[in-house]
Amino acid sequence: MSYLFDTNEGARYLMMGNDAIVRGALEANVNVASAYPGTPSSEIIENLSKASLKRNIYVEWSVNEKVALEVAFAASIAGLRSICAMKQNGVNVASDFLLHVALSGTRGGIVLLHCDDPGALSSINEGESRHFARMIELPLLEPGDFQEALEMTKWAFDLSEELRSIIIMRSVTRLSHASGNVTLGRLGEPEGKALFKFETIPGDPDSGPVITMPVPPHHTILQNKLKKAVAIFEKSPFNTYTGPEKPELLIITCSACNLYSREAVHLLGAGNRVGILKIGTTWPLPPKLITRNLARTDKVLFVEEVLPFLEENVKVIAAETAAEVGIKKFYGKNDGTMLTINEMNPDIVVDAIKKILSIEYTSMDDGYAKRAKEHLAALAPVRDLTFCPGCPHRASFWNLHNALELDNRRGFVCGDIGCYTLGFLPCGFSTMKTSHSMGSGIGIASGFGKLTQFGMDQPILAVCGDSTFFHAAIPALINAIHNKSDVIFVLLDNSGTAMTGFQPHPGTPLDAMGKDLPIIDPADVCRSLGASVEYTDPFNTEETQKKLLALMEEKGARVLIMKQMCALSPEKKGKKMFEVRVDQDICRGDACGCSRLCTRIFRCPGLVWDHERQAAVIDEVICAGCGVCAGICPSGAIKKTEAAR
Amino acid sequence: MKVLGSRELLADVLAKELCIGCGACVSLCPYFKSYNGKTAMLFPCTQEQGRCFAYCPKVEVDLDEVSRTIFGAPYSIEPLGRASSVTMSRAGAKAPGNNYQSGGTVTALMTYALAAKHCDAAILTGREGLNAVPAIVTSPDEVKNYSLSKYTSAPTLAAFNQAVDEGFSRIGVVATPCQVLALAQMRSNPMDTKDYSDSTSLVVGLFCTWSLDYRAFRKLVAGKVDINEIKKFDIPPPPAEVMEIYTGSGTIEIPLAEVRATVPNSCDYCFDMTSEFADVSVGVVEGRSGMNTLIVRTERGRAIVDGAVKAGYLVIEDMPAENLASLKTAAGNKKKRALKKAMGEGIINTSDSCRALFRLEKNTLAGI
Repeated sequence: MSYLFDTNEGARYLMMGNDAIVRGALEANVNVASAYPGTPSSEIIENLSKASLKRNIYVEWSVNEKVALEVAFAASIAGLRSICAMKQNGVNVASDFLLHVALSGTRGGIVLLHCDDPGALSSINEGESRHFARMIELPLLEPGDFQEALEMTKWAFDLSEELRSIIIMRSVTRLSHASGNVTLGRLGEPEGKALFKFETIPGDPDSGPVITMPVPPHHTILQNKLKKAVAIFEKSPFNTYTGPEKPELLIITCSACNLYSREAVHLLGAGNRVGILKIGTTWPLPPKLITRNLARTDKVLFVEEVLPFLEENVKVIAAETAAEVGIKKFYGKNDGTMLTINEMNPDIVVDAIKKILSIEYTSMDDGYAKRAKEHLAALAPVRDLTFCPGCPHRASFWNLHNALELDNRRGFVCGDIGCYTLGFLPCGFSTMKTSHSMGSGIGIASGFGKLTQFGMDQPILAVCGDSTFFHAAIPALINAIHNKSDVIFVLLDNSGTAMTGFQPHPGTPLDAMGKDLPIIDPADVCRSLGASVEYTDPFNTEETQKKLLALMEEKGARVLIMKQMCALSPEKKGKKMFEVRVDQDICRGDACGCSRLCTRIFRCPGLVWDHERQAAVIDEVICAGCGVCAGICPSGAIKKTEAAR
Repeated sequence: MKVLGSRELLADVLAKELCIGCGACVSLCPYFKSYNGKTAMLFPCTQEQGRCFAYCPKVEVDLDEVSRTIFGAPYSIEPLGRASSVTMSRAGAKAPGNNYQSGGTVTALMTYALAAKHCDAAILTGREGLNAVPAIVTSPDEVKNYSLSKYTSAPTLAAFNQAVDEGFSRIGVVATPCQVLALAQMRSNPMDTKDYSDSTSLVVGLFCTWSLDYRAFRKLVAGKVDINEIKKFDIPPPPAEVMEIYTGSGTIEIPLAEVRATVPNSCDYCFDMTSEFADVSVGVVEGRSGMNTLIVRTERGRAIVDGAVKAGYLVIEDMPAENLASLKTAAGNKKKRALKKAMGEGIINTSDSCRALFRLEKNTLAGI
């Protein structure tokens, strides 16, 4: 990552989109960076934290996205430049504050960088955060390639200062995590002194108190900012047209779809028939630029991911200027040419252009996909989504599942966001029955726990990771405790924000820059709220199940902390607690009395079925040595011995 | 006997709330576990045929086949089942303690069986609060700690299976009729295991009209009595219509109608009041609180009773004719009630394509 700090202006590197964004922020001399981790956005703050070792930057993994934005905003109104990164649904969390920031205005350049995840590759939703820009009335930028990711980030700070507005910039997984060639700009020395001025009247953009009241005048100021943005966007170099002067088909696109559109036109050899209008400033749209390009042709195809944001906004302009540019035939989401779900790719764009322009083109024959699948099946084993070998969540869900089944009252677990979201799948023994937003597990459970007056007598449990606990679970837990809801809150404490790459959180001792911080113990928090708190090690399955069963006999809000470090945590990785082996002579395998409990149900990837011997065997390469499987074997065939240290 | 797997057991027994929690399927594999008097299936199992299904007393019980295993003869039409004698009995001078539900016959017999090395282990059922908890007992001195009726259903056979697994081979079991039936099925080697040998050496069956669901009973009792203070439960003969709960600080009474509401559905299908497949069966004698009814059914039952009498552990007396008559009436009534209910639901002697609760010869069924 040394290229991030390369002072050699004009140097060219193959760079991941998120790194290009980081470089852009560094070239803009960003002072403060904050975020809550979430794929595909996490690398942005991770790499800026590396920059903090070389430059005077404050970098923070904040407790949640709303607080992250508040932290970045403070820097802005103290006159510094700041960036705040999050994944798509993080914007929902930050949106209440965002609504007010739009009205209050900003000072130093501030950029809200959100990475959307079309196709939900690393998400449990396919949220489209672009709509916040229109709803909250803020400018929105979407880089169309890797170079633009750098340039646009850098420019976003200038634009923010010019408009006195926060700028929303949207990336997507295939831009953030893919790589492309990027030419570096000048890397200066960060400057700026923090001072919050508040001596003049509210509404003074430079030195007044920063509040949103009186609202109508502030709202007018906000809308004037958008008008100014339109004027700037009309001339922005990030809005480009490539293609013939009068194409048969005009593609209007943005973001990574720009790359897919270019590839599709290239594949079809249709460069002389198709023009591409790539919009970088997707809200507010510059109407003159749009009108000018709509006038080129009568057929327009929209290429964008998920919902028809660009499409609908362009159509408004097209309707208003129909007398000038004529009636258009639109192809996109609304007429069904494109889907409103999932990722876009060049093939989809090729298919759309083929149909519209009646081009004969076959990229691959029909049998190709089938043959590829067959070859793949022969080479790669079928893999489930599962927990890693030695993952404490497998043991935790084993305990939860068994205790709930033993209890026999159709109890269930409300889930939350983390690796343990997989608890609804067989790897978690299908124990988790709800899964929504961060902190919602305990919130939903809190509601369930008040349904006893309607006859609900199922035990109600909520699971929550340690990072999620701080993010959004605490208010819901307070709600449950205060309202005497009959719930068991199970904190799956694996000592880090494991899913996104071990970012620190308030329960861990280091900040994003590696400096010591005081630990906030979730147990202390729960106790101070008045909950009874018990600890257990999920690897101790007998004790954990016993505790769960006992807790299920009680009423009110109860807290059980299942504490065991993530198998991949830097502190644990590679260190086995136990050497584990299977005595294949004792293994009952498929017979009545076992029926392959370990390889059929428990299914740690470290346990393998030996077809030849018809017995289980340990895959020593990946076994993490947690030793849990030794305790579940009904015939005692799995042996564990303490590993040499 | 039709033997299927856990999937069918789940569908026919657990899902229909016919499971009485006897523990016959527990401690055999990792899938069936007992908790609070109920059996839970933790995970699905793929066996087409399993011991769980084969042993379960609530599905596909072939009464004639089971009877042939125990008595060498098909199921009897008699209300008390096959019996060689019906007498009264009580604990003798050699029997330990005096804390008995009625005559102390069971405690006396089991103490004798262990002391005389007739059994290498006894499967007994103790009580923790309201919960009936089985135990493997090897010392004759400990038997008395498991006296007194428990009333809540118990996974006694889980301890039996565990004892077999631990290598005990002459096991004495004190069991309720459903548990005795499951044991009889185990003893008929339904899985055709090679080198099978019967691990029981004595099955003492208890009289039972119903058991109680632990959770439901606990809910009923909650607030009325300190569970840890309970010394003994008793249901005095009619017309009292109450359950008495003896505690350190007095006795409380709960109306029997309220107690009956906590009886699991499963008991409604039980045709057996006197543990018809046991070696000996023991119950109360109406109007004689210090005595038991003792039914001797098998030769090995006879041998142990004779031995116990001879060694001074047990005292036998003749049963008055009117007591015998009323016992038969009660047992017959339970049998008729259960069979009528099961027949009404069409779950006896079903066609091959449909699984039955139990099967028995048509004429026997008609006779009852």
